[in-house]
Amino acid sequence: MRDEKHYESIGFKCGLEIHQRLATESKLFCSCSAQMPSDVSVEEIERRQRAVAGELGKVDPSAVFESARARKFVYNAFSKSACLVDIDEEPPHELNPEALDIAMLISASLGMKIPAEIETMRKEVVDGSDPSAFQRTMLVGYNGRMRVGKKDLAIPTVFLEEESSGIERSDKEIVLYNIDRLGVPLIEIDTDPDIKTPDEAKEVARRIGLLLRITGRVQRGIGSIRQDVNISIRGGTRVEIKGFQELETMDVIIDREIERHQKLIELAGALHKRKAKVHNSEEVTDIFKSTKAKLLRQSLDGGGVAIAARLEGFEGLLGQEVNPDRRLGSEISDYAKMGGVGGIIHSDENLARYELSDAEVSALNERLGLKKGDAFILVTGPAEACSTAIKYALIRAELAFDGVPKETRGADGKRLITTFMRPLPGGSRMYPETDVKPIVTDEKAYAQLKSRVVDPDNLLKELEADIGNKQLASQMLWSPYLPLFKEMVDKTKVSGSVIAPILLEKTKELRRSGVAVDRIGADAFARIFERYGHGEITKAAIGEVIKAAPASADEVDRAIKANKLERISGTELKSIIHKLGNKGKDELMRELMSKYRLNVDGEELRSLLDKR
Amino acid sequence: MYSERIEKTLKAKGISVGDEVKLTSGDDMFEGVLMPRAETGDSSIIVIKLRNGYNIGLKFGDGASIKKLDVKREEFAFPKVELKKGKGLPKVSLLYTGGTIGSKVDYKTGGVHMLIKPEELLYAIPELSGIAEVEIRDLMSIASEDMTYKEWQRIAKETAEALNSGARGVVITHGTDTMHFTSAALSFMLECLNAPVVMTGAQRSSDRGSSDAFMNAICAVSLAAKSDVAEVGICMHANTSDDLCNLIRGTKARKMHTSRRDAFRPVNGRPIARIDVGGKIEYASGYKKISDTEARVKAITGFEPKVALIKVHPNSDPDVLEYYLGKGYKGAIIEGTGLGHVPIAPSDKKYSWLGAIKRAVDAGMLVGMTSQCLNGRVNTNVYTNLRLIHGAGAIYCEDMMPEVAVVKLGFLLGNYERGQAAKLLDKNLKGEITSRTEVDWR
Repeated sequence: MRDEKHYESIGFKCGLEIHQRLATESKLFCSCSAQMPSDVSVEEIERRQRAVAGELGKVDPSAVFESARARKFVYNAFSKSACLVDIDEEPPHELNPEALDIAMLISASLGMKIPAEIETMRKEVVDGSDPSAFQRTMLVGYNGRMRVGKKDLAIPTVFLEEESSGIERSDKEIVLYNIDRLGVPLIEIDTDPDIKTPDEAKEVARRIGLLLRITGRVQRGIGSIRQDVNISIRGGTRVEIKGFQELETMDVIIDREIERHQKLIELAGALHKRKAKVHNSEEVTDIFKSTKAKLLRQSLDGGGVAIAARLEGFEGLLGQEVNPDRRLGSEISDYAKMGGVGGIIHSDENLARYELSDAEVSALNERLGLKKGDAFILVTGPAEACSTAIKYALIRAELAFDGVPKETRGADGKRLITTFMRPLPGGSRMYPETDVKPIVTDEKAYAQLKSRVVDPDNLLKELEADIGNKQLASQMLWSPYLPLFKEMVDKTKVSGSVIAPILLEKTKELRRSGVAVDRIGADAFARIFERYGHGEITKAAIGEVIKAAPASADEVDRAIKANKLERISGTELKSIIHKLGNKGKDELMRELMSKYRLNVDGEELRSLLDKR
Repeated sequence: MYSERIEKTLKAKGISVGDEVKLTSGDDMFEGVLMPRAETGDSSIIVIKLRNGYNIGLKFGDGASIKKLDVKREEFAFPKVELKKGKGLPKVSLLYTGGTIGSKVDYKTGGVHMLIKPEELLYAIPELSGIAEVEIRDLMSIASEDMTYKEWQRIAKETAEALNSGARGVVITHGTDTMHFTSAALSFMLECLNAPVVMTGAQRSSDRGSSDAFMNAICAVSLAAKSDVAEVGICMHANTSDDLCNLIRGTKARKMHTSRRDAFRPVNGRPIARIDVGGKIEYASGYKKISDTEARVKAITGFEPKVALIKVHPNSDPDVLEYYLGKGYKGAIIEGTGLGHVPIAPSDKKYSWLGAIKRAVDAGMLVGMTSQCLNGRVNTNVYTNLRLIHGAGAIYCEDMMPEVAVVKLGFLLGNYERGQAAKLLDKNLKGEITSRTEVDWR
């Protein structure tokens, strides 16, 4: 394990962007359900998008890049969870007040200040994930702070925004999206780039996750929270890593990314030292006219072309590993792929693998004017794809001189490395959402909200006191049953030590055995614990009632009746004991408990038998 | 629009909208660009575009201060687009009249506003110059709800002029709300038309990447450059996808949705053609084709604006007809119910329209009857009441849409004497009336 000093010495900087879906009834700017039911698609909609100039007149580089790919976007629309607003066929409705409430609550828990007026913006989206080509987003909090262990971390901004569409599949020509989740309210929390180690990044992510969870008003489950990590090291530049599936491997992936940056910076140094140079590309189709190399043969037979370029002074560097099984050549290949080819062939590779003949390689070397220490890259495919691909590949080759390119990369949870997604978008992709009026915030209400914020550490202490068991308390802190637990403890006279094991353990056990535990609503649980608190059912009967999976309070009562779970106590119990006549205490206890296990409270029985 | 107090402070410090500023208030410090203020909302708030691109509204209260920062920003101007004068490409005149297709964000009202210069459209849609040699005529920049017959007259004249001076076809960009009124007017006004006149617009402004303006413009220019249609038509999205546009006859098109991109639908007819984004045209129904004639296009632009469109409904008072008569109106189109009914024998006689129609016709007003069903044809015989209304002198306008009928009525009264106009109202001139309705037309 490398320590903080190591990361300090390489100038490691790291900040997080946490995205969390909010648990609202409806979407952020329309009345569609935000619950994303597994609906059947009712229509497929096809759209084309293009880069447009932003408010201040600049076109975003990443927008141009995506636009050049000219992919067709297809959207699956659903009946309950998508409407005309989602497919950019109707102006947005008013901002969902429930979402704003939750955003304010989360801002308060991070000690944020809020703007006097919230301005909804359009953030240009170029990957097609929004049919309107922008995402609505607004700054709802600034200048906050949070404590993580001993660290006091600044949280500069919190945003409330629309969730993007979910990708169903994508290829070179088409990307298919599901728009059921599009427009679901999402909160984005940005931290200061003050995180000192990959391990700390994980800790901060976990802490923010906890803060969000204990509000009880955020969605849970796969994809409902996403962590983006921004990192850089000295001599490099900022890279954004998206799509961490789990926190466990976050630190490992960050470490690998740091390695990549270090290698790329080294390579840049080598390129400068060698006075390397990227040359213009040339069409070289004729060299491969009668080639036997499979890849080229197929491409040329299909009417394709071959284009190559000389990379002066790159020899040996293209083949250098920057990550396990990833080379500078692979990085250049990533860019070429964006142009629509399968990848590149480069001279640091084992060319025999492609079945290129020596004659072909020499002809190519000659054509490009390759000298000792030079390398070449070669792409093949349809003419248009090829010319775009080589353009992008050469852009990446040029970027090698800077070391680390500004990129958005994806976390690969299997290989534990990052993969190229697109150039990092610039800041010029925002313009005002003019279809929505600015929202004036309520300072007083926010101050009240702030005064009621619960600190997770104090909450844990409270839970420990209520439950009397540290392990269960910390389980409860992270559990979806936390709000229900607190409500039950407040509302009923039942002890937390009874409620917690039922909510955390009994439900789990019954869920595993196939009981539809999740249909039991808060009202039903409240009735169960009320009945128990009033001595109307026994502790042992609680599990039996839950087995019936009652959705409402009435169903609880019906389940108690139907399963004869009413508690037998007091005079009634006495008379039963009396009827059994003069038997030994232990015998009576056994007999009665085997017959009335669910109806009789063992302690009461024992004390009655004792008094006899 | 900032409050007077804020404006004063800004002026004193030489700060104007678009400047880089530093705003300090208590512990807060913000740097960014001073944004214009929408006229709605709290007037003590200053809006700043932060470095991260977000706008934020901040209270500019006591103790707050603002300072201009010396940061130079690049000014952005749309590059002047030199149109490829590609040899062999057909000449298309693009008449620009305004509307969403040429609109941009307006920070003053917080809404979409007509600001864009026509050449910016070509910058945004470079494909156009690969389809035709596009010549842009900047006629006006007007929201379509503000259009009047005077604009129709001007557009008709400019269209005729463009065609007579060598354009192969004409594209007219127009706001969508009343585009079908203008298309009807142009259909009637352009006589001896022997070229495609294609109107188009957008439901989403062209400053957003998802705008329908791009495809609509590409398809419209393609139709003007390539199609052999010698009619006025509206070219807009055929469905919500960006794959096909419809060309709908100018006298059969109607905006049928407030916001969808496929808002325009043919009523009592089929589209003339469908065109895909690649420029492939499929003709879907009969139309007037370009012929070999040498005749020049004439713009016959006489128009009588004193014509009214009246919708009857339960409780509607026929007095409204008397009102128009009193105001010197020469004609009225009634949007009747069903087959062309108006109330005739209501419990309260006051609400019977029969007498009012008879009086109006007798006083010289030309009264036409259409149906608010839009789809289908009016009839004078099925019910006694229909016969009575017809007998009172109302002219039943077959399957002509009410909006088209009122435009036609103004055109007829502006160019013909009353008797002739009355005779022509229910006769087909420019495809506005069809003699038969096919089974599969909705």
